Amino acid sequence: MTLLRLSGIRKSFGAVQVLHGVDLDVGRGEVVGLVGDNGAGKSTLMKTITGIHRADAGEIEFEGRSILDLDPGQRRALGIEMIYQDLSLARQQDVASNIFLGREPTKKWFGIIPGIVDRAAMDRQAAEMIRRLGAHLPAMNRAVGSFSGGQQQTVAIARALTFDPKLVIMDEPTAALAVREVQGVLDLIRRLKSEGIAVILISHRLNDVLAVTDRIVVLRHGRAAADLETARTDMNEVVACIVGGSGAQAAAAHEGRGAAT
Amino acid sequence: MSSELARPGLWTRAQRGSVERLHIRLESLLVLLALAAVMAALSPYFLSFSNFLNILLATSTIGILAIAATFVISAGGLDLSLGSVMGLSGVAGAFVTVNLGVPWGLGVLACILTGALAGTVNGQLVTRALVPAFIVTLGMLGIARGLALVISGGRVIYGLPPELLYLGQGRPFGIPMPVVIFVATAIVAHCVLAYTRFGRHTLAIGDSEGAARAAGIRVDRHRRVLYTLSGALAGLAGMLFMARINSGDPTAGLNYELTAITAAIIGGTNLFGGRGSILGTMIGALIMGVLQNGLNLLAVQSYYQQMAIGAVLILAVFIDQYQIRKETRS
Amino acid sequence: MGRRLATIRGSALALALAVMSTGPGVLAQDGQYAVLMKTLSNPFWGAMGQGVEDGAKEAGIDYFIQAVESDQAAEPQLNVCNTMLERQPVAMITAAINSTNLLPCLKTAQDRGIPIVDLDANLDPAVLEAEGIEIAFRIGSDNVAAGAQGAEYLVSRLGAEATGPVLVIEGLSGNITGQRRAQGFAQRLGELAPGLEIVASLPGDWDRGKAASITNDILTRHPDLVAIFAANDGMALGAVEAVYAAGLGDQVTIIGVDGNSDAVKSIRDGRLNASVAQLPYLVGKQAVENVKKVLAGETVPKDIAVPTLVLTREVLEEGSEPLLQYVK
Repeated sequence: MTLLRLSGIRKSFGAVQVLHGVDLDVGRGEVVGLVGDNGAGKSTLMKTITGIHRADAGEIEFEGRSILDLDPGQRRALGIEMIYQDLSLARQQDVASNIFLGREPTKKWFGIIPGIVDRAAMDRQAAEMIRRLGAHLPAMNRAVGSFSGGQQQTVAIARALTFDPKLVIMDEPTAALAVREVQGVLDLIRRLKSEGIAVILISHRLNDVLAVTDRIVVLRHGRAAADLETARTDMNEVVACIVGGSGAQAAAAHEGRGAAT
Repeated sequence: MSSELARPGLWTRAQRGSVERLHIRLESLLVLLALAAVMAALSPYFLSFSNFLNILLATSTIGILAIAATFVISAGGLDLSLGSVMGLSGVAGAFVTVNLGVPWGLGVLACILTGALAGTVNGQLVTRALVPAFIVTLGMLGIARGLALVISGGRVIYGLPPELLYLGQGRPFGIPMPVVIFVATAIVAHCVLAYTRFGRHTLAIGDSEGAARAAGIRVDRHRRVLYTLSGALAGLAGMLFMARINSGDPTAGLNYELTAITAAIIGGTNLFGGRGSILGTMIGALIMGVLQNGLNLLAVQSYYQQMAIGAVLILAVFIDQYQIRKETRS
Repeated sequence: MGRRLATIRGSALALALAVMSTGPGVLAQDGQYAVLMKTLSNPFWGAMGQGVEDGAKEAGIDYFIQAVESDQAAEPQLNVCNTMLERQPVAMITAAINSTNLLPCLKTAQDRGIPIVDLDANLDPAVLEAEGIEIAFRIGSDNVAAGAQGAEYLVSRLGAEATGPVLVIEGLSGNITGQRRAQGFAQRLGELAPGLEIVASLPGDWDRGKAASITNDILTRHPDLVAIFAANDGMALGAVEAVYAAGLGDQVTIIGVDGNSDAVKSIRDGRLNASVAQLPYLVGKQAVENVKKVLAGETVPKDIAVPTLVLTREVLEEGSEPLLQYVK
């Protein structure tokens, strides 16, 4: 069943056309890898989904309903969540503060003074969230800046989960991680899938993409150049699609033309 | 959750506990107590209730400015105009009550509103004109001081109404009013910074503006509120000092912004934002207060006092950085 | 895990408080005089401190002296004043930074029956009366008279018929001492030589560099400037530099106030023309001597004016003036 459907998305910045009519479908609980060379338009495409950019032409449907006219906040309310590469974490704050940043649960003191952050509830729910992800953090009350990259990724994902998302877009979640931590993050993605949450995974690390996705969409020069079923493809095919044509000759030609942007 | 913890030593555990519950670093409290013990050993006059009140009284104006500094700095900002705005506010309050003869309550209001207005100007310039806070508040430092001298004609405005004097000189239950107001302000400010959404967002903005924006916090509006709050607190400090000496002194609060920032930093506020607590700042201010009081009792020249405070500042930040590095490594 | 810590912390604090409240407060040595200066980072105050020390030594008096970091640190001085009272002195000798900053402390001192001396006459008698504070005596130089002496010297040098522009460099805006000196000078000059016109009277903030800049600016506008009166020697020496740099050393008569060692040197070198010397050493010495009399029950005058002395190259080289021994 289709959760998100993009059709004919076009987007230019001034004279530069970045997206030339992209079609993309994501099913409920499906993990889709989005790959492509630098400048292929991956980030722009994701930002038209979250609403930061407005598509020039085309249609975006979420759960069968057009969301083109909605602003980022409204789209988030519908269940579209994005985790940026920098994770947007407050590094000196602890886990719960980050997970609930901007939406802290409050209580009243002595039944009259309102607006007091309910630390106990926050800590409890944060711990619950981490447990739900099957992850381990060294301590809940420590500044997340002292955590490893993978642990920070866990916090960022846990934060996204509190919005009860139906679709999580992750931008290069494994790029900055030590090798031994990558597996943990891939496990988290599988965990999301098992909870029925769809994931769009943007990554340069094709091994990771092949390991965790259901489908792989290759973006090239602003078009969806290929839509591959992960189980029926391999590294060579994906690379070939990214560089265009098959083999090194085409890749060289691609390099010769330079990137699109 | 404790089962997930490694087994850290008592010291580390104690620290985490203190960070968690009271938002202070244990070292600073130990330094304060150690300093008090040293002073008590060196001077027979140190340990008395009246001297204890003396220290609090001497810390009251600086302490309130340090509260303001903590709010602004932990949000990644800076307010260099605190001392000047304090001076301007006192002059404004004295001017309206003495020269214009308005009732004392309006005099109090004039002090706080003058400060808040200066803070609002700071906030608008920082968030809308996008002039760096250092520059804006440095400019305000000069403007406010100059305005104070202009309004007062360069001399102290003497002779406040008795109700106002009570705020500076009254002693309910033997405790000086400035101390009462200072402590009450500190308690409220601590709760706001440590326990409310406003406070959590303040720290988050100083920690990572991007994260705060991504979380939907209205960062610019929040900053404007903080600068206004900072100005209003400087106005409160100006009012207290004015009432204490029964006059608006245009030179009041000279260089206080640096002392206030020092207190905040000694108390564990991160100069670059993201971390700070009022309780910590109060300990920082008291460390400086005890140091000054003790050295005064020992009749040590003021030059050495300045050296001592400078050394404490560097030491405090060093210990802080050391702890953070250790924590990050673990 | 936090609970045990909270207990430790709690008991440490309680211990500290307990010790504080039972601490001894009766160890005060009898007979200490408390001397509170503005700052010691200025030869003037240094000399006064020396006078206090010598006076105390001669009279066999026990004293302690304190100052703050600058002569603008009004509230710090008040805090130091309060702290000094903890030592339970028998007399408070204070040089207040302005006419009001020490009021609460002085009130407390009065309530405890400690006699108060206004050192260098910084307190305003009207304010003291309004606050109900009665001081034992005030002692210092008459700053209005010092300014007038400067005018008298200028007229004795240029003649009563002289004409031309004159610059006055005041002290810190709002500081009563600077205002009195400038006022005394202007008044007397108007009486003695109306042809000498004060074209500008600007605050130099006791700052040598600022005084030099002011002098430069005024010389640009009035190249025929004939005289400069500065409310202290530091500023006068700044003016000297600016005037000599402009090559007008022979044309402009420069007068300072204080008689500090830098000024004396400059006068000997023939650059600064005159300084109305205050005798801070004498002020300090006589303050202590008079407090001793007050404590012994003798009466002393309420207002003790220590004389001032116009220092010029001639006076210095002759060396016969008896007050010269107090010029430090």
